[in-house]
Amino acid sequence: MAFLHNIRTVAKYEAKTLRRSWFFRLFSIGALVIFTFMNIGFFSPIGNEPWALVSISSSVPLINLYLLNIGQAIIVIFLAADFLKRDKKLDTNEVLYTRSMSNFEYIIGKTWGILRLFLGLDIIILSIALLMNIISKIMSVDIMAYIWYLLIICVPTIIFSLGLAFMLMSVIRNQAVTFLILLGIAALNMFWLWYRAGSIFDYMAFGLPVFKSGVIGFDNLGVILNQRFLYLFLGLALVLATTLLFKRLPQSKLHTGISVIFFFIFLLGAGICGFNTFSAWKKNVDEKNLVIETNRQFENRNVPAVTDAFIDFNHKGDAFEASAHLKFINDNREGLDRYVFSLNPGLAVLKVSSNGKDLTFNKINHVIEIDPGKILEAGQSDSVVISYSGSINEAFCYPDYSDNIKTTPYRIEMVNVNKRQAFLTDNYVLLTPETHWYPVAGLNYYPSNPARIKIDFTRFSLRVKTKDGFTAVSQGNIKSGNGYYNFAPDSPLTGLTLAIGKYQSDTIKVDSVKYITYYFPGNDYYKKELAELKDTLSFLISGIMRELETNFSTKYPFSTLSILEVPVQFYSYPKMSTQTRAELQPSMVLLPEKFSTLQNAGFRKRFTRLKRNMARNNQVITDKELQVRLFNDFVRNTFISGESYRFVNGVPLNEPTRYRLGPSFYFFKNNFYSSEYPVINAVFESHLQKVSIPGQAVFLSIMGGLSDNDRANLILKTASFRDLLAKNPGSDTIRIVLTLKGDYLFNMLRSKAGIDEFNKWFLNYTDEHRFQRIDISKLNADINEEFGFEFYPYLNDWFNRKEQPGFLITDLEAAEIVAGDRVRYRVSFNASNPEPVAGLFNVSFRTGGPGGGGQQMTGVFQGGPVVGGSFTISMQGRGMEAADISKIIFLGPNEAKKIGIILDAQPRALLINTLCAKNIPGEINKPINNIIKSKNKISDFTWEEKLSSLPQFDDPYEKIVDNEDPGFDKGQQISQSPLKRLLGIKSRGGITYQRIRMYNIPDYWQPVVQSTYYGKYILSSVYTRSGTGDKSVVWATTIDEPGYYDIYCFIGKTGAREVIRTGSADAPPPPGAEPQGESPYQDMHYKIYHDEGMEEITVDYENAEPGWNNLGQYYLSPDSAKIVLTNQSAGRIVIGDAIKWVKVK
Amino acid sequence: MKIEIQGLNMIYSNGNHALKDINLEFGTGMFGLLGPNGAGKSSLMRIIVTLMKPTSGAVFIDGKDIQKHRKELRKMLGYLPQDFRFFTSLKTWEFLDYSGSLAGLRNKKERLSEVDRLLDQVGLLEARDRQANRLSGGMKRRLGIAQALIGKPRIIVVDEPTTGLDPDERIRFRNILSQLSQNDVTIILSTHIVGDISSTCQGMALLNRGELVFSGPPENLIKHAEGHVFKLHLTPYEYEKAKEHYDVISTIPVETGWEVQVVSDEVPEFNSVSIIPNIEDAYVFFMEHKLHADLID
Repeated sequence: MAFLHNIRTVAKYEAKTLRRSWFFRLFSIGALVIFTFMNIGFFSPIGNEPWALVSISSSVPLINLYLLNIGQAIIVIFLAADFLKRDKKLDTNEVLYTRSMSNFEYIIGKTWGILRLFLGLDIIILSIALLMNIISKIMSVDIMAYIWYLLIICVPTIIFSLGLAFMLMSVIRNQAVTFLILLGIAALNMFWLWYRAGSIFDYMAFGLPVFKSGVIGFDNLGVILNQRFLYLFLGLALVLATTLLFKRLPQSKLHTGISVIFFFIFLLGAGICGFNTFSAWKKNVDEKNLVIETNRQFENRNVPAVTDAFIDFNHKGDAFEASAHLKFINDNREGLDRYVFSLNPGLAVLKVSSNGKDLTFNKINHVIEIDPGKILEAGQSDSVVISYSGSINEAFCYPDYSDNIKTTPYRIEMVNVNKRQAFLTDNYVLLTPETHWYPVAGLNYYPSNPARIKIDFTRFSLRVKTKDGFTAVSQGNIKSGNGYYNFAPDSPLTGLTLAIGKYQSDTIKVDSVKYITYYFPGNDYYKKELAELKDTLSFLISGIMRELETNFSTKYPFSTLSILEVPVQFYSYPKMSTQTRAELQPSMVLLPEKFSTLQNAGFRKRFTRLKRNMARNNQVITDKELQVRLFNDFVRNTFISGESYRFVNGVPLNEPTRYRLGPSFYFFKNNFYSSEYPVINAVFESHLQKVSIPGQAVFLSIMGGLSDNDRANLILKTASFRDLLAKNPGSDTIRIVLTLKGDYLFNMLRSKAGIDEFNKWFLNYTDEHRFQRIDISKLNADINEEFGFEFYPYLNDWFNRKEQPGFLITDLEAAEIVAGDRVRYRVSFNASNPEPVAGLFNVSFRTGGPGGGGQQMTGVFQGGPVVGGSFTISMQGRGMEAADISKIIFLGPNEAKKIGIILDAQPRALLINTLCAKNIPGEINKPINNIIKSKNKISDFTWEEKLSSLPQFDDPYEKIVDNEDPGFDKGQQISQSPLKRLLGIKSRGGITYQRIRMYNIPDYWQPVVQSTYYGKYILSSVYTRSGTGDKSVVWATTIDEPGYYDIYCFIGKTGAREVIRTGSADAPPPPGAEPQGESPYQDMHYKIYHDEGMEEITVDYENAEPGWNNLGQYYLSPDSAKIVLTNQSAGRIVIGDAIKWVKVK
Repeated sequence: MKIEIQGLNMIYSNGNHALKDINLEFGTGMFGLLGPNGAGKSSLMRIIVTLMKPTSGAVFIDGKDIQKHRKELRKMLGYLPQDFRFFTSLKTWEFLDYSGSLAGLRNKKERLSEVDRLLDQVGLLEARDRQANRLSGGMKRRLGIAQALIGKPRIIVVDEPTTGLDPDERIRFRNILSQLSQNDVTIILSTHIVGDISSTCQGMALLNRGELVFSGPPENLIKHAEGHVFKLHLTPYEYEKAKEHYDVISTIPVETGWEVQVVSDEVPEFNSVSIIPNIEDAYVFFMEHKLHADLID
């Protein structure tokens, strides 16, 4: 056929021409080199083989094509725009235009030529990846993924880019303008539009979640195909439009007609696919809003508490039929004339009956309102049977999350993974309580009280009918037969999870707890990689569980712990009402397939690496010992101490990892509720399941910056707890505020009841009331009975007041004394709270042996995105061992106390945690440098003595201007770029307190907090990058009396010496050795303005004393006095804190 | 084969009236289009090769309107544009192969054989594997004619083919065209070099400012000039005077002064001899003298 012949001819020579262009050659050679190295580095046996990437084999082609596609999309723009320009420029091409071929043939030929060239490059790079994939000892090969990704990522991107470039070039006929527009579109795609409106604008598949699970394959193939066909069709339509606009007289009416017809067909196809993509997103948004609106209608309705539930579940492909037999009690104070349950909106209620009698009901979206025909009085029980069927609507889950957050995919390394809350297909089912796959008394979200949660401890039983060859998994003991699985949990649960798939399982019983792992066939790689552990596994598990139980001071409450492997797409969000994520269920943990997102799960690679390192260091370790270490690391990281500590835009964020078993020891065991303070359970949970942040305090004390407590206090400065909750803040904000409020509440209880006494009593109390809901007023009564005080009255201020206390610590003294016939240490200090609200703080000590200056604390920090490299900070100084809380001090409004505490060990520093207060940082570190010897014998080990007046903080002869005071001026120093101004992007620099950055130091004066800095409540200073003296800060005050004044500057040092050592974060120097490198702080230049003019004083930071340093004595008239600090310095950083003028008497 | 041009007008979007009511008819053999730069030759060529649509009028080939039968025309067409210098990164043989393939030579073996034959014919066989864009100007022209000839076209349109060529190349080029014109093909040669026409064309047309001022065999054009071309022997003084009164075609210095050829309606007053004009003389007489005189009339 001449038609195909002409297309092939044009394509052949277009490809040939393109292949010979230097631009394409550079790109393809560069791509080949980069991708070869990348594949060797990531996927080959000699490479890094990061577990997140190698665990699921579809990652290999995905990462290759994902990255290549980005580069390709840009290059195609250049080459395609060049296409018409070249045709326009070269008269030589006219000899081709006079040949017998249609414009359609010519343009299609050109398109096919470019497409096949790029596809050829893609295939070559995929072949390299495939080779690595094949020779890898870890990965399997998913050949279909190679084909899928080539088709869904590359082809539509190239065709759309070509079509758009052709079209724009045909219309605009200016290559430079076309380039700019196309590059703008590409940049917009990558940085702004990539996830918006269901990724409808994402022509590059940059943010489209196309990850293919090794278990269920694509979970969103419909969405993917619609989105990709949108751009394929649009690209083809644009190519055809180019043929119609092409500046050559058409030859074939037939081909012109075909172009017109197919242009409209493709346009229509693109429209349909676009509509499907958009409407899928819009439907989710609408349904989410509908859930919120429905909840708003019912959020004030009383609901019963379900005590027993039997669920009969029949799996029917992508739907199911079920009936729920529910027994419940009215635990409200009023009677119930309607029973309100909620059930996933994708499920239709077929029938509701009670004792064989049908009941009338209304289903309003997801809420079932049942008319029992009677009033269920308070304390009475009833039962209903609800029959229902249908599928699961995932838009129902997490309605409190914004559309953007919900539609943004989550990333494993660099690949985008769809977020799923449930799976219901013919071959796989996963239903968690979050989906309300069975009727639940109460709502999933309370719009007016997002922190409220309704927890029922229900005795569940479940019967599941599945297809042959499929295994049902749920909590409790299992009995199976005749195609049915029966589950009977032996304790009440907060929710029930069901999974159905081709699961295999292993069980081990340790210390009366049955540990069951459910995994997909072939995914039990760990058995082989940790084969040596077989005979010691029980011992290891027992040790780990004992450690957990010790941490939480209570027993694991269930008889089983199931580890359930689920598709990698399963995702949960943190909630305001609880920190427990859906990955953790009562007696069950849902782990991603092949543990792909878990740290340290690539046992084989880690084993080889550690073994090699140890051999290099002449360390002898058996394979078994090493495997024990790997196992312990994995389990601890995942289930015990796991936390995700990272920097986002320079701000440290920490959130509990999804799989921590903490909730098993509180959230799944106890529930405290209050109608007046619905957040109470979340507060208890935050405190009782608190994630410790090892090293954060040390890090902050060296680098400055805000701890979680500080951030929470700054937030609470602007709004009361109640107001803050109503604003539906972000998950990290709510987490830190809940934790702070929980810490405060429990410290208050401990301060009144005694630390040990309360802890012991409360643990017993929660054990005695396990699997029960407890009204907070009952807890109040029980505490009152036990300890003789009520905490309930304090909750009003705690919840509703915005004002914060502020604590001032003065007159710190320490003495060596004889107490109780032995040498001990007495520490005393004055504490005052000049603010009009009460508060409390806790006191602990850093202790150490005599002459403890020899200890060295070295922290190694890997630089985050802001730091951009690794560096080591060494701090020589005193020991930093943590100490338990010694005392909790309660101070009323405008109250001051003298506090005395006796210690067995020599104190090195007083550590104050001000919890909920104005103090920033809230963790104050007061070094104890001077210990006097006292021969007095004392009998009181601790005491608190109320002072008649507040200790004076300021000396009347002194004028101090701190960087927080009005007399301090750091000028208008942040210049915002015009682009940022245009886009309305606010600069974060200089606004909040950040940590000191040793690299990428700000060129403006950035506030930073640290307990060694000067301040009344906020111990802060400002720092900037050193310069030529062009930037400065000013301290100014008014002098009342003329005369000579001593002028001081405050220098807050973190340790005896701080150094920066550039380069890799290698092993720290041995203890006692001098750290090498130079201090970032060196000379600082102060300009002192006085009656005789101005004098410049240089202060050598290294040799300056920590605290006030004298700048000299000057005569000042009653006028404004001023000190200026410039950014001139030979060091890297200049820091300014406070200035003091002291009248010479 | 008969080519008829009827009432052809071309007005560009900038208002330039490039062709004004052109009517022309010619058949097989070489047909020359002569005219100064800007006369409208290239516009006419581009309309004939379907690169452009006329504002009005039509071109018929064997009675078929080429705008309605572009496919048929393009199948029988070989075209060498005026500015045939820029190439993409293709080798000489590849460029010909590309053209040949589009000209309908689908059999690869036959096509490659034809490529080599044509390369040989135009003397480029040795440059077969050289990059086309690195050939010399003359070689590029030869490659241009080779690509215009591939696929055995029945109509060959060559626009200003000899511009910029050295004399050897120009002669070689004319020879190629002469050889071709012996076959049953129509060659339309557009040029402003009069010599290209005289040696090769059976018919010709003269365009000036978009208008057809002459059409017919070159001999007819020459006839118009007969008796109007004179050779004068002039002293330097006379030469200065003669320049003011006559259109000078050529000037040769001789011992006594100047030997000058002029065109004139009447016998010049100087010592003159009437000579038989060639086409170049005829062209000058026609463009500079007759048209000017007609314009005054």
